[in-house]
Amino acid sequence: MAEEAGKNNKPFDPMEPWRGMRDAYLDTWAKTMVEMVNSEAYSQATGAMLDTYLTVSAPFREAVEKAMLKTLEQLAMPTRNDVISIAERMTNIEMRLDDLDAKIDQLLARSAQSSKPAVGASTSAVRAPQPAARKKSRARTARKGRK
Amino acid sequence: MTDPFIQTANRLQTLTKVMSTKAQIAQTPKELVWALNKAKLYRYTPVVPAEKRHPVPLLLVFALMNRPYILDLRPGHSFVEFMVKQGYDVYLLDWGAPGPEDKKLKFDDYTLDYMPRAIRKMKAISGSEEFSLLGWCIGAILTSIYSALRPDDGLRNLILLTAPLDFSNKQGMTFSKWVDERYFDIDKVLAAFGNMPGEMIDYGAKALKPVENYVTNYLKLWDNLDDPRVVEAWHAMNTWVTDNVPLAGGAFRQLIVDLYRHDKLMKGELVIRGERVDLHNIRANLLTVIAEGDHITPPCQSEPIMAKVSSEDKEVFRVNGGHIGIMAGSGAAKLTWPHINHWLAARSR
Repeated sequence: MAEEAGKNNKPFDPMEPWRGMRDAYLDTWAKTMVEMVNSEAYSQATGAMLDTYLTVSAPFREAVEKAMLKTLEQLAMPTRNDVISIAERMTNIEMRLDDLDAKIDQLLARSAQSSKPAVGASTSAVRAPQPAARKKSRARTARKGRK
Repeated sequence: MTDPFIQTANRLQTLTKVMSTKAQIAQTPKELVWALNKAKLYRYTPVVPAEKRHPVPLLLVFALMNRPYILDLRPGHSFVEFMVKQGYDVYLLDWGAPGPEDKKLKFDDYTLDYMPRAIRKMKAISGSEEFSLLGWCIGAILTSIYSALRPDDGLRNLILLTAPLDFSNKQGMTFSKWVDERYFDIDKVLAAFGNMPGEMIDYGAKALKPVENYVTNYLKLWDNLDDPRVVEAWHAMNTWVTDNVPLAGGAFRQLIVDLYRHDKLMKGELVIRGERVDLHNIRANLLTVIAEGDHITPPCQSEPIMAKVSSEDKEVFRVNGGHIGIMAGSGAAKLTWPHINHWLAARSR
């Protein structure tokens, strides 16, 4: 009852009619904009703008990259490419360590199982990695290692 | 009666706080159990005794270009928290943010290097040879590819949320028009940026509904500044929306060229590290959740997989809502989460 009375006695909000008009306008605007972004013309226009930006900025970007590369070389400091190369190799090492870790877990589980033959199969959970993935990661590591 | 000046001051203080701070998100207790490069596997601390828990663990795989904590947004409004309370052993694969050194990462690496190792770790911890996978958005692409390439790896249940898998209906997908090869030069974009910047992806997602995202969203906050519940929900969602992650260049190229332009996954022409991805290989129980009002992944992209897989047990669940709203909106806890739990519980024994 009190709640109902409260609702009925809700103070007059002079902005309420304006809000209704605003929301109706926004709905119409939203529908128009959705149609617009779905048009071929919009795709063409945004594509052209992005393309222009990338084309115009490319020479500046390349100039900055070259200058930075030369500066770092003269200061005998690693370049971004050097850091990237090391990071890639680190990931490959991480993968091999992960595989080794899993193999050790597997061996430990097997030895635990053989010492307790009556215990259930819960220790056999570790599986060898998929051969395709393992071969690839090794190949990549080897390739990068030769560089 | 409250002084109108004080009321206005309070509203402005709330607005300033919400716009300039980050909400407390991802608070369900978890433990880091595995990491590779930027990827991390978390295990959520179970709250149900082991004997009452579902024996089949659940791995959540979210998109590459957004933070996965949308699955654990805030206490009381968290899918993860809900599933942990229902007795699942829940794991989350967080892809992290790729750096310049990761620009060559492709779906191949995510599905054949990262996912099998994370799953191996999950199996070792849970002690279960079988597991369930839940993929959302691009995460659903990755889980579908993985499930097709490794059908004998123990996958029992596959849940795909708003999965963009079929790219044949060009007229039904706004993104498809934007990335048409006549207008979008992917080589030039990746030569400039290496990885696809998170800000550009964010702009693309918001530009699909520009008025809603750039105007109405903020007016909704303004109109409800006196309602703490609305403000809290808005704050958490805004924290997530503005926390963008770049997409690795190699994966972005595959997404645009192989999927958006050539629809290779559905045609059975997608090749991952020399292996052709045949969706027919998927035999796991399959639940596909479709958001009827999804403007990012329209329903026409998610449903056709049902006819491609070999799964005998498969179901489509349609929910009214948007791409994110079906899992993180106000109706998620009443509709989507209980249905997923109901479906999965019966298949996790």
